[in-house]
Amino acid sequence: QQTLPSQPPGFQQPQQPCVPPSVSEEPGGRGRQRGTPIDGNYCSSSNFKIIGLQISAGFQELSLADRGGRRRDFHDIGVNTRQAIKHVQESKTGSSGVMIKLTTNYFRLMSRPQWALYQYHVCYSPEMEARRLRSALLFQHEELIGKTHAFDGSILFLPKNLGNKVTEVFSRTRNGEDVKITITLTNELPPTSPTCLQFYNIIFRRLLKMLNLQQIGRNYYNPSDPISIPNHRLMVWLGFTSSILQYEESIMLCTDVSYKVLRSETVLDFMYSLYYQVEEQRFRDACAKELIGLVVLTKYNNRTYRVDDIDWDANPQCTFRKADGSEISYVDYYKRQYNQEITDLNQPVLISQSKRKRGNMMPGPVVLIPELCFLTGLTEKMRNDFNMMKDLSSHTRLPPEQRKCEIGRLIDYIRKDNNVQKELRDWGLSFDSNLLSFSGRVIQGEKILQSGNVFDYNPQFADWSKETRGAPLICAKPLDNWLLIYTRRNYDIANTLLQNLFKVTPSMGIRMNKATMIEVEDRTEAYLRVLQQSITPDTNIAVCVLSSSRKDKYDAIKKYLCTDCPIPSQCVLARTLSKPQTAMAIATKIALQMNCKMGGELWSVEIPLKQVMVVGIDCYHDTLSGKRSIAGFVANLNQTMTRWFSRCVVQGHGQELVDGLKVCLQTALRDWFKWNKYLPSRIIVYRDGVGDGQLHTLVNYEVPQFLDCLKSVGKDYNPRLTVIIVKKRVNTRFFAQSGGALKNPPPGTVVDVEVTRPEWYDFFIVSQAVRNGCVAPTHYNVIYDTSSLKPDHLQRLTYKLCHMYYNWSGVIRVPAPCQYAHKLAFLVGQSIHREPNLLLSDRLYYL
Amino acid sequence: MDKNFQEEQFTGIIKFTPPLYEQRYQFIKDLVGKYKPKKVADLGCADCTLLWMLKFCSCIEVLAGLDICASVMKEKMHRLSPLPGDYLQPAERSLTVTLHHGSVAHKDPCMLGFDLVTCIELIEHLEQSELKKFPEVVFGFMAPSLVVISTPNSEFNPLLPGVTLFRHPDHKFEWNRGQFQSWALETARRYDYSVEFTGVGHPPTGMENVGFCTQIGVFVRKYPQTSESAQSEKPTEAAYKTVFKAVYPSLKDEKYLQNAVVSEVIFTAQNIKQSLMDCLMSEHKEYNDDPTERKCKFQPSMNCFSEDLGKLVVEKSMEPFVNGNVVYIPLTTIFSFPKVNRLCGTFEKLCKLIAGKVTLSSDGSAVVFYTEHENK
Repeated sequence: QQTLPSQPPGFQQPQQPCVPPSVSEEPGGRGRQRGTPIDGNYCSSSNFKIIGLQISAGFQELSLADRGGRRRDFHDIGVNTRQAIKHVQESKTGSSGVMIKLTTNYFRLMSRPQWALYQYHVCYSPEMEARRLRSALLFQHEELIGKTHAFDGSILFLPKNLGNKVTEVFSRTRNGEDVKITITLTNELPPTSPTCLQFYNIIFRRLLKMLNLQQIGRNYYNPSDPISIPNHRLMVWLGFTSSILQYEESIMLCTDVSYKVLRSETVLDFMYSLYYQVEEQRFRDACAKELIGLVVLTKYNNRTYRVDDIDWDANPQCTFRKADGSEISYVDYYKRQYNQEITDLNQPVLISQSKRKRGNMMPGPVVLIPELCFLTGLTEKMRNDFNMMKDLSSHTRLPPEQRKCEIGRLIDYIRKDNNVQKELRDWGLSFDSNLLSFSGRVIQGEKILQSGNVFDYNPQFADWSKETRGAPLICAKPLDNWLLIYTRRNYDIANTLLQNLFKVTPSMGIRMNKATMIEVEDRTEAYLRVLQQSITPDTNIAVCVLSSSRKDKYDAIKKYLCTDCPIPSQCVLARTLSKPQTAMAIATKIALQMNCKMGGELWSVEIPLKQVMVVGIDCYHDTLSGKRSIAGFVANLNQTMTRWFSRCVVQGHGQELVDGLKVCLQTALRDWFKWNKYLPSRIIVYRDGVGDGQLHTLVNYEVPQFLDCLKSVGKDYNPRLTVIIVKKRVNTRFFAQSGGALKNPPPGTVVDVEVTRPEWYDFFIVSQAVRNGCVAPTHYNVIYDTSSLKPDHLQRLTYKLCHMYYNWSGVIRVPAPCQYAHKLAFLVGQSIHREPNLLLSDRLYYL
Repeated sequence: MDKNFQEEQFTGIIKFTPPLYEQRYQFIKDLVGKYKPKKVADLGCADCTLLWMLKFCSCIEVLAGLDICASVMKEKMHRLSPLPGDYLQPAERSLTVTLHHGSVAHKDPCMLGFDLVTCIELIEHLEQSELKKFPEVVFGFMAPSLVVISTPNSEFNPLLPGVTLFRHPDHKFEWNRGQFQSWALETARRYDYSVEFTGVGHPPTGMENVGFCTQIGVFVRKYPQTSESAQSEKPTEAAYKTVFKAVYPSLKDEKYLQNAVVSEVIFTAQNIKQSLMDCLMSEHKEYNDDPTERKCKFQPSMNCFSEDLGKLVVEKSMEPFVNGNVVYIPLTTIFSFPKVNRLCGTFEKLCKLIAGKVTLSSDGSAVVFYTEHENK
């Protein structure tokens, strides 16, 4: 993009937990039905499904499936990928590096010795339909069953054994009908059974409710003492993410601090303020741009929805059909149902597409009234507001010691609340009061190789920009024939840039002629016309100095130069160049970036593994224009991993991304062959952009497609394939104990014990360094592997690859090909919207 | 108890739309709309559905529920907790919701001082001994200005399929209209109330003589409230156990009011500053880089008072101005914004509430901003 990164790429700032809206009924698709629970089949791990387990006593209906019916399993429970990977059956841990004492945000869940959960099947004769009736009838026998129970209408969980395999009791309905209830013991579940895991999570949510925490999306927040940021009408609620899962050695609660950004203005307020800021004719577009994709919170019932569209033709006086068939207007509905007055009758309505089927209701659009919806989260505009983000991060970016305290607060709440303690005791469960501690490893740092020079860097900062400044590059592309385009006002700035480039390029080994300087009017068409007229087949690169960060101009230039007229381009904001004190540093960065875009190479690290092709894949989901997804695909072309093949897939309607990925892999192999005259014997795919709960799809669909694709290359071609899912958004945090205090673990920290999952071949690496806040480890899950590479080697290779991203002279959070793929997908998704010209595919033109 | 089920079983012959339980609740809501009671108690509140509906009624400041069965209440009581939205925009009114576990045969001072007490499908669940004590507790002790009692009308029962004796196994009795009315009239007479009879659930055509499916008595106290004496005369000790209490954020609470005012003042001042800066910027430049981005006339964020735009009079003396890198926005300007005005009421209150929370000029008359960091 046009500006230089001020943060290591891949660094998410600030922490903004992303919670998918809970989809549920609302006018437009109403119905009170909830998903009917599935009977039985709890324990088979092969078709393990999350069940809308309804708890009939205690508190508000809770289910693992959360509110809003059945949902996907965010924790990918029950997908056992390790069992198919032969060489990690015994052990999946590495051994190299120096041991380091770590503390993490996990608490052990403990149960009484010989603890078991008793699962019963409950049936009624005559058959009773309504679930609430079923539970009312069953709990007429509370003296038998006890006060501690969980019941979903057919499956009953108890902490005790009823004594007999089959217990029969009789209840009477209000009609005087006698009903025989048969309670059959179907299972005595050990603490580690998958069903118990679901059960723990259900119970834990009960506890959070008892603590008066408010559920928003997937997490729970404390409504008292919010952080208020009045400048932007923001309110930040403190809360917790939590999940209880079976980890390597034990069942643990993983909990992290979560911040929910809420806004004390309604969507309607926001529309009004926007109306006064933009031109009339741009108003609707501006609304769409700012609002679509945001999550809103309804005033009257605490549900969150994603805004997918704005219907300008509708208003609150429109009517909809209720479940009972009667027509009612939104105004009347909200007045009657929630006593909510809608004052502005001319406002448009928001549309949210609910994705999931609810009970027997087909998923349909949900209509929301702007006046009754609060905004949540940050808009693009706010994210770009430097002061605000600084403000926000001062609250949300906690240093390790403080974060640990906040995390400990949850356990404190639990320990101090009598009701919570009683509930836990009744079930025979408790939590360890200390955070889990164990040993991790810090693997050896890498040496940076650059044209015969070897550089060491300070591992604490994971950055070598100072060390390598002015050193000759591995491959410098000449600037013989290039364009520098600027507006009249920016003439001086452009000229200074040119002079500075003349100063910084010689030491890098870049040969440079004076640019063809072209002055343009500050209009998009003017830029495009100049490009059309001035670019010749010999042009190396076109550099445009832009006077504002208006996206349309940038988009138009990029689109033209990536598709119709494929040459590398560099856009720079005039503002970025305007500060004399940073001018040289900026010129250096620009020179490096331009060199990469033209196919140059900057540095490398030692990669002992030969004939290996490393692939990075990441996705961009376009929320604005038709919701198309774009996948970036990047694979190395040479042994040293300094040149990359890049291609992207623009997903057509009803098309699967993986079809396009297969084509990418084929072309990448063809190009590899052209470069190396042989095919790689190993292929390692780093797959980023996989959502929670999509593991199953990847394992069962995407991996076989890759294998198919390799088969189609040639009969005798049988490379070893490794597929690794890369996940940046994890709740796991590590704290290093150094002296008395907690610090961030140093870059190169690897964890493959305790907090990993026994059914996976997975590990964490902390590769980057952060200046403030807590560092987030990256999770790597090897879902397919015929490489026979030792875990040690795979971990080290992964870490090495985090050193190879040329837009940042330091270590980043993910392997470079993933970050390149992200960059590419982002550019295409944001600006180009179609596949760039393949002539550019051997260069990092999208940096 | 599980009122909501009732209709599910009566399919076929009689089907009420909306369901009968909803009609009963709607009846109460309409009554609340008419009499605007401030304190409402629901005796036999079961799963708190009625209380949940009533919490949206803006006249109510105190809601209480009482039930003999704690687990039924607890099942859904979290519906009565404030929502995030209630915190984001605290309401004008205050609202406290409390749930008590106990019997209507016992007196507890927490039930004193209510304006409306509802007993929906309650009395038929009472044992003879409890029913005897019930009038003294509700009419004698609680003595609200309005009592609503609903109970099944047994004359309707033959129309309900499957009902042999009573509609629910826990019912101790079901009265016909005569029985209910004579009990109600006697009770009203004894405690100095007037009573009117009505009901919900119309009988089918041709069967009008059986009356409503649910019969309702609305009792109105005839004597004026004697609150002081009520409190002092009846020093009973607590008989109920509180199982739930929620205090809604309200602007009546100084803490929330202050937060709201400080937020609004800063937001308003920020908007004015922004318009001012934009205006200055565009004056300084001979050509505008970005002609469509902003209207540059000084419009102090019109959205804030779209409703009564005309009312704003910006006097010369209260105009915001820039001095070097300091922007001054007089409090009087900010106070003239309807939202701020409405929140504070008086200028003195405004000054008091923002003291120490907002950066002011040395004489305390204006909000100040420093602009140096603006162009990062």
